[in-house]
Amino acid sequence: MKNVLIGGIGNVLLADDGIGPYVARLLAARYTFPDGVEIIDLGTPALDLIDQLSGRDAVILIDSVDAGAEPGTVLTYQKVDIMRHHPAVRMDPHSPALVDALLSAELFGVAPDDVLLVGVNPGSLEPGCNLSKPVQASLDLVASSVLVELDRLGVEYHPQENPAAVEIWWTSDSKVNYEASVTSAGR
Amino acid sequence: MAQRITIDPITRIEGHLRIDVEVENNAVSNAWASCTMWRGIEKILRGRDPRDAWLFTQRFCGVCTTVHAMASVRSVEDALQLEVPLNAQYIRNLILIAHALHDHIVHFYQLSALDWVDVLQIPKADPAATSKLAESLSPWTRNSRNEFKAAQDRVNAVASSGQLGIFMNGYWGHPAMRLSPDVNLLAFSHYVQALEYQRKALQVVGILGSKTPHIQNLTVGGVANAIDLDSANALNMDRLEMVRVLLEEVVQFVNQVYIVDVCAIAAMYPDWFKIGSGVRNYLAVPDLPLDSKASAYDLPGGYIMNGNIAGVHSFKTASDKDFRSAVSEDVAHAYYQGGKPLHPWVGETEPEFTGWNGDQKYSWVKAPRFNGAPMQVGPLAQVLVGYAQGHPLTRKYTDLAIAKIEAVAGIRVTPDMLHSTLGRHAARAIRAGMLAELAQKHLQLLSDNIAKGDYAVYNQPVFPGHEVEGVGTHEAPRGTLSHWVVIKDAKIKNYQAVVPSTWNASPRDGAGAHGPYEASLLHTPLARPEEPLEVLRTVHSFDPCMACACHTFDPSGRQIAKVKVL
Repeated sequence: MKNVLIGGIGNVLLADDGIGPYVARLLAARYTFPDGVEIIDLGTPALDLIDQLSGRDAVILIDSVDAGAEPGTVLTYQKVDIMRHHPAVRMDPHSPALVDALLSAELFGVAPDDVLLVGVNPGSLEPGCNLSKPVQASLDLVASSVLVELDRLGVEYHPQENPAAVEIWWTSDSKVNYEASVTSAGR
Repeated sequence: MAQRITIDPITRIEGHLRIDVEVENNAVSNAWASCTMWRGIEKILRGRDPRDAWLFTQRFCGVCTTVHAMASVRSVEDALQLEVPLNAQYIRNLILIAHALHDHIVHFYQLSALDWVDVLQIPKADPAATSKLAESLSPWTRNSRNEFKAAQDRVNAVASSGQLGIFMNGYWGHPAMRLSPDVNLLAFSHYVQALEYQRKALQVVGILGSKTPHIQNLTVGGVANAIDLDSANALNMDRLEMVRVLLEEVVQFVNQVYIVDVCAIAAMYPDWFKIGSGVRNYLAVPDLPLDSKASAYDLPGGYIMNGNIAGVHSFKTASDKDFRSAVSEDVAHAYYQGGKPLHPWVGETEPEFTGWNGDQKYSWVKAPRFNGAPMQVGPLAQVLVGYAQGHPLTRKYTDLAIAKIEAVAGIRVTPDMLHSTLGRHAARAIRAGMLAELAQKHLQLLSDNIAKGDYAVYNQPVFPGHEVEGVGTHEAPRGTLSHWVVIKDAKIKNYQAVVPSTWNASPRDGAGAHGPYEASLLHTPLARPEEPLEVLRTVHSFDPCMACACHTFDPSGRQIAKVKVL
């Protein structure tokens, strides 16, 4: 049985940076996963991300990634790609630290074998609770990217018969629910 | 001609600190310590219920978590002259001790060690020889050749990948690095082990405090822990046994690894017992109260002026008038409005941000003064005060550490050598040894008291109609902490926190006297000014925690710090 983390990273108060938490909750509402798979809205972890990575067989993370591409472009990064980057200069212990966390976990012998980062190029990172239109349009592809990775890992999942609504705690605006955009009903 | 070097931000500390030094003839000729971030909690507390204050003040900092909660409840209890039941004192003491043990371990290994340990020398080390050396210094059972080989393999993987990761930008190969490859390997291996043991110490905090960072179990008048030997959900024998086992493992690590490593590494850098002194006035407050009135303590307090250790003045209790009346804060060089220095009970917090100006205002930290003098606080202050008073536990661990250093260094270590950068590191390890022993003592005190049938944990606070003022003190991991509260009509009228790093990171005062960080840097020799490793060694030895030192927030915009990656 594989120990897998599906983690959504991001600040839900900064527009497209909320993609990670949103997709994590979307997948949790849409599918059932076997024992050993955890889906977590990770919010904005710093080095405490090491605790979440530690001891897993595989980790799939969803986050906004500014790679200079068109808003909504989905790019995926393997573990070796992520670790090739130098850690960003962090002004304080609370700054995001994905590269640091992974490098530290590797150094201390607790890193997962497989890491996939599904990165969505943001349209807007301004204060706000909405995903921009291009990023909304990418939701299908983001969800499929996660599911394809689960296929590759040999992890079975099933679409829920009557999926519940996506749990969104960060706003009461019911327009912030893009489930209609997501048509991938799984394999 | 003097060269100016700015290090901003200082890394491997808590918070936001900028250090400027002027260098002439390869030595520091002048220095400025600047706190570059600012929040607002003292002002937020005005008008609030004093029973809630500790929840806010604990959020000063998640690294020195617990300490500001403790000082806050004590300040209100002091204002009300409210006793705290024995169980509550012991539970609080255990939390404070366990947190301090975690803090001191992390400070030496994760925050300081890489100032002295050159990781990139590790591929040259011989794991078998390292093991032989390590086992000659300590009975620790995790010093095997295999253990060191595994640690070396990890470093080899990092070094050969070209991606140094968390080790990038270190001053590897700096001429001031002098440990042999084997000792570098020994230290690094223990650095990784230290992560496990500091976590165990924190688990103790979590069991008693309900979580950490930021315990939830305090209340003005005691603690909120339910004690019931017959309940699975309360503090019972099972939980106390868990605490006992965890503490035992931490105690072993402190005695067999942490103290040993500090002494061995210090012995290999003996010139650093002559660098980094600065302010030789020391201040410490008594702590770990042994009764409900806090009239007796297990950690001594007092003050020493001008390095006159024998002339130590003792504080009988934490409410000693000699302490309470002597504290003032000067804002001449800090980003606040104000004229003459003010006692904390009448302290003000009106910001006046001017931007960094070394001749005028340059820090968000006020300049605390004791009878007008700058004071160094921290484990060194507590150890010197305790040693001078003949406090048995202080003497025991100080003599032990000095003997260990002498054995490795082959030189005599005299008390005045403790006025130094290495003196601070050694004192922290000494203090950890003392606390490790006290942890087991206070756990026994708690267990014995509960076994007598005493389950009391709380005395209800009653607020009078007239104005009252109180001060809550705590000898925190970084030194003397004090919270000063004025209460009127059961609401907070004024609240000022004077925290350890305020004392140590203090800018100049109106008379131009340097604060401890600044003074300690003067005359430090720099082998390569553009790689100011020596400055970091001294600054780190203080264990800076800047979030605590300045806790007021400017909503109109943060200064963008200049980044020099270290």
